[in-house]
Amino acid sequence: MSPGERYCIVVAGVGGQGVLTAARCLGDAALASGRGVVVGQLHGMSQRGGSVRCTVLVGPGQSSFVPEGGADALLALEPLEGLRARDALAGHTLAVVNRVPVVPPNLVRTRTPYPEVEGILAELRAAAASLVVVDGGALVAELGAQRALNAALLGALAGSGGLPFEPALLLAAIEGRSRPEAREVNRRAFALGQEAVQG
Amino acid sequence: MLVDRRGHTEVLLGNEAIVRGALEAGVAFAAGYPGTPSSEVTDSFARIARAAGITFEYSVNEKVALEMAFAACLAGARSICSMKHLGLGVAGDPLSTIPYVGVGAGLVIVSAGDPSCHTSPNEQDQRHLGPMLHLPVLDPSTPEEACAMARGAFELSERANLPVLLRTTARVAHSRAPVRYGALLPPRVGSFQRDPPRYVPMPANARVMRRQIPERLEAAREWLRDAGFLRACGSGRSGILAAGAPAATCADWLAEHGLEEEVRSIAVGGVHPLPEEELADLCRDLDRLLVVEELSPFLEDAVTLICARRGLEIEILGKHTGHLPHEFEYDPSIVGAAIHSALGVGPAPAEPRPSAPLPGRPPVFCSGCPHRSSFLAARLAFDSSQLFFNDIGCYTLGYGPPHETADALLCMGAGFTLAGGFARVTGERAVGFVGDSTFFHAGMPALLNLVKEDAPVVAVILDNQITAMTGFQESPASASVSKPPRASIEEVVRALGVRHVEVVDPFDLQAAVNAFARARNASGVSVVISRAPCPSHLARGSSQPPAVVYRIDRERCQSCGRECAGARCAVPVTREFELNLVRGRIRGRPTPEAMPPGVAPCASACPLGLCIQGYAGHVAAGEYAEALQHVLARLPLPESVCRVCHRPCEERCVHFEEGEPVAVNDLKRFLLEWGRSQGRALAEEQLETLHDRSVAVVGAGPAGLAAAAELRARGYRVVLVDGAEHPGGLLRSGIPRFRLPAGPLERDVERILALGVEFRGGVRLGAEVGLDQLLAEGHDAVVLALGAGRPRELELPGAARAEPIDALDYIADDRASADRSLLVIGGGNAAVDVARLALRRGVDDVRLVCFERRAEMPAIAEEVDAAEEEGVAIETALRPVEFTTTGALYRPEDGSGPRHAFDAERVVLALGQLPDLAVLGEWGQRLEVDREGCLVVDRESGATSEARLFAAGDLVAGPRTVTDAIASGLRAAWGIDRMLRGEEAADARPAPPRFETELDAGPLPRPPETQPRRRPPTSPPSTRATSFEEIHGTLSESDARAEAARCLSCGRCGNCRACIELFGCPAFREGPDGIEVDPAACNGCGGCVELCPAGAIHAVANPLEDPR
Repeated sequence: MSPGERYCIVVAGVGGQGVLTAARCLGDAALASGRGVVVGQLHGMSQRGGSVRCTVLVGPGQSSFVPEGGADALLALEPLEGLRARDALAGHTLAVVNRVPVVPPNLVRTRTPYPEVEGILAELRAAAASLVVVDGGALVAELGAQRALNAALLGALAGSGGLPFEPALLLAAIEGRSRPEAREVNRRAFALGQEAVQG
Repeated sequence: MLVDRRGHTEVLLGNEAIVRGALEAGVAFAAGYPGTPSSEVTDSFARIARAAGITFEYSVNEKVALEMAFAACLAGARSICSMKHLGLGVAGDPLSTIPYVGVGAGLVIVSAGDPSCHTSPNEQDQRHLGPMLHLPVLDPSTPEEACAMARGAFELSERANLPVLLRTTARVAHSRAPVRYGALLPPRVGSFQRDPPRYVPMPANARVMRRQIPERLEAAREWLRDAGFLRACGSGRSGILAAGAPAATCADWLAEHGLEEEVRSIAVGGVHPLPEEELADLCRDLDRLLVVEELSPFLEDAVTLICARRGLEIEILGKHTGHLPHEFEYDPSIVGAAIHSALGVGPAPAEPRPSAPLPGRPPVFCSGCPHRSSFLAARLAFDSSQLFFNDIGCYTLGYGPPHETADALLCMGAGFTLAGGFARVTGERAVGFVGDSTFFHAGMPALLNLVKEDAPVVAVILDNQITAMTGFQESPASASVSKPPRASIEEVVRALGVRHVEVVDPFDLQAAVNAFARARNASGVSVVISRAPCPSHLARGSSQPPAVVYRIDRERCQSCGRECAGARCAVPVTREFELNLVRGRIRGRPTPEAMPPGVAPCASACPLGLCIQGYAGHVAAGEYAEALQHVLARLPLPESVCRVCHRPCEERCVHFEEGEPVAVNDLKRFLLEWGRSQGRALAEEQLETLHDRSVAVVGAGPAGLAAAAELRARGYRVVLVDGAEHPGGLLRSGIPRFRLPAGPLERDVERILALGVEFRGGVRLGAEVGLDQLLAEGHDAVVLALGAGRPRELELPGAARAEPIDALDYIADDRASADRSLLVIGGGNAAVDVARLALRRGVDDVRLVCFERRAEMPAIAEEVDAAEEEGVAIETALRPVEFTTTGALYRPEDGSGPRHAFDAERVVLALGQLPDLAVLGEWGQRLEVDREGCLVVDRESGATSEARLFAAGDLVAGPRTVTDAIASGLRAAWGIDRMLRGEEAADARPAPPRFETELDAGPLPRPPETQPRRRPPTSPPSTRATSFEEIHGTLSESDARAEAARCLSCGRCGNCRACIELFGCPAFREGPDGIEVDPAACNGCGGCVELCPAGAIHAVANPLEDPR
């Protein structure tokens, strides 16, 4: 992409999954790349297990809105929340989706089944240019650490070609935001996520 | 944030950028009250204040914050205070007078608006405060601009001698963007010169101050003209004027479509007072101008006036022309559509893409949140009609299911005042909730007001010791309060004059429920402080998983012990029912460790296995249809049974020892009367379609009727044969009408026949029809339910002289008795019935003499008492020795003492009945019988020793009551079905009651303090002794509900989902084998343990990784 264009990433997930932190890492990396960046993170009441969506807009521009169909990349930490961001998808969007659902408690309570994950993925596949499905469960099992999942998912986004800057910048940003004792596992997770999608 | 290097760039949140700007202006005092989306302003100051040498405080509320900041600025410190838009309303009083007094050093008020109500109950356009209160207003569009405005605002404030309102919106406050740093200016506190006329706005002084305001505003306008916040680019005859977040959105939209040059774009950063001349100059060449601003047409109106005053003929477009909406945030589609339609440039908006709605994901209380437990305790302590008023904080989530503790909500502190207003006009006790921070913010005056007016309110303070919703800011009572001493909520509450004050730990559910109940029962204002720290705050900065998580015991969860024979209970549970289950567990739990049994003791003792806690729980909840479902699932002949059942269940009731067990018959009767009044069927409605198998049932008493009904429900063709003309057996001939009137019996019988059972009356086995004949008719099986027709005799001298007659003959003989005196021998129900019937037939002197002691009489104790009240003389523990011409001679049962002679014109023997197998012909010889001549059958299936022959009722060995007879009829039907169609088909319907009742050895619940047993209307002994009318009436609805509420639900429930439906912890989910706890989501609080009515939740070591 040319430096004059804006590159829009949508990060979607569930409150508590680390959506804001993932978006901040992307923002840090974008700044380090020398491009402009705006990160939108309206959260409010969504933090307590509600839907959370952040936007990362890399390049020129001021507003934190990703227009309808304006996402170049979607990173969904949860499938239903990925689908909830479908308005931002278009024929040029790369969607990277963790296939492990977080079932909303209201569905458990009302005995409403969670939508079929395959159906969600099919809808996303139809709405996007390409869909990369990540098995977060398998990554966590391999890493032995749930808390490194987002580093792996960011690695998957990087490995799928979803970044408008060098993946190393994102890894550096993740490390910069990690506790010292978590840096190593996050580094492994990022590499594992990259490998997982490059297969 | 404190990097002191010009040109350094950092990605900052809008709110952080404001703090940076203030630091670059040398701010020396900062205060505020958190509120999304403004909170990160105060939070950032909290982090850096010490290092930056700034005086900072989280104030108790916004009014206090503004007053503190105002004073600080008068003292010579550049000061800032921050709040959300609603908070500025709280600070409205000082805000409106500060412009009169003016400032010392600069004073900047940051207030964050929330278009689209992302996290607020309203959206409001605070720019209007500018003209209304004479405030310069800055309205940034990006974090970078917010930083620049914050930096400049102090200078503006000092130049104009006015406080400056830096108004942001969520979109700017919560966007992150690179901010280029300027130089930091060290904080400085100047000096204050005493000058009371300047600082005391008494009316005379205020009038002087008022005259100075225009001049100050002119200074502000001048500053704003030169500040660079009014920007324009592009050219052409069409223009866009935008402010705030939409200015950035417009700029991006124009850039995206290559229209930057073609359209004149004006961004207004200082929105009051407007630099009118400069603005007019920027617009002068335009034909049309689209004004893009969120919420109200503030600039649209202003620019319309500016142009009109100058005679500029520019078409002003915007909200008034319908190009833009008056409400909510403007996203790029709204902005793009307006630009396209108003100015005719850029692409037409895309058609909206249709998409199916997705399941929502509303926010919930975190795992381990104490509010969840507090609300559950409140729901348990108050009944479902209780009104709850809620407030602003995390606990606002109490609004949604499953908590539903917000009937109304308004603003900070109003949880108390809403409850107070309701309570004062209705006189009903109301419940109000506020949080700890909210209590100090606005709840204290509200509570004082309630005390002053003695309003009947339960005021609940949900003290999680932090301001959690907005990001864990301290409140005056927080454990982490930065400057001791901590405030004590309970001391404040007592000082306000509240007498009833309790502090509870909501995780001790029993204690919390009891505390709420005491507060409910108190008068005037009572306060419950429900205190437990916010676990999310405690866990902050730690990735250590909890050492202990909770697991569900599959054996206990959703298992009532009655499901062993197949079908799960078909009666759905409801929230109210589950609340009753939990209430019972909490009220009756003998020790915290005591586990409830599978089947409640009462249901274990019920020959029919009726789920008593099931129907009682639903009656208590007012859910009569569900309750009726429980009763009818296993009970044919319900109207009869609810009058004559001997109620062995009551002896196992937790209230039995106090002599007041739950009145099961009265509850059933209430339900049946309710069902009749609703036109309900009162019978099995789920009939299997007829298949080609048929069964003959011989004997139409309770056992035969029950077997016939159950067989028909299982799809069998049923022929019911009886020697009498009408079905009913002993119910018809052996129980007097004052105990079982004709109406209920006829209706019970009719319902069974109406299922499609063919009745052949007047057909005696062994006379009109033989067993071989029935089998030859092609029936696949025969149920013998002949009853016991042979009276047990008393072999005593003189029997021929006394001519004693049999009790059943006496009862069946409808003629009035001519006897003046009657002696009945026996201690069972038939004996009591005879005695009471004799009184009604006009016998003056009725005496009942029995071998048993009073407490051991087999008759229902209440019936014995009633007979005595009516005038029956009762003699116990006497053994008959011989009949005399005038009665009988007795001696005491233990052989001591003198003989008694009782004279009577009539002697009735009521010693029980034995089967008469003679009617079976040669079959009688082949069937196995016991010593007394009763048939020996398989107890669980009624199968006799002969294939295809089943038996039920008094014909077989076992207890001899109506209820037992019905149970054995149901078992025989199941036994036949299992023989003919196999276990799978037979077990598709509710399992039959077991013969062996499974008395659970688990600890009985402790009887709690309870209401007295409710009794139905009963006619007094004097009138009823001469009447054949039924003695008891039906409980009223309110009495029935109160009586049902006495049930403690001692057993487990197979359909219970209380943890999910009442508690709603996100760690609970439904797995393939039932409810389970996700160990990754469980925070180990254990709040679920006590609520589980099955006692099925246990702590286990966390199976998940240890991250370190």
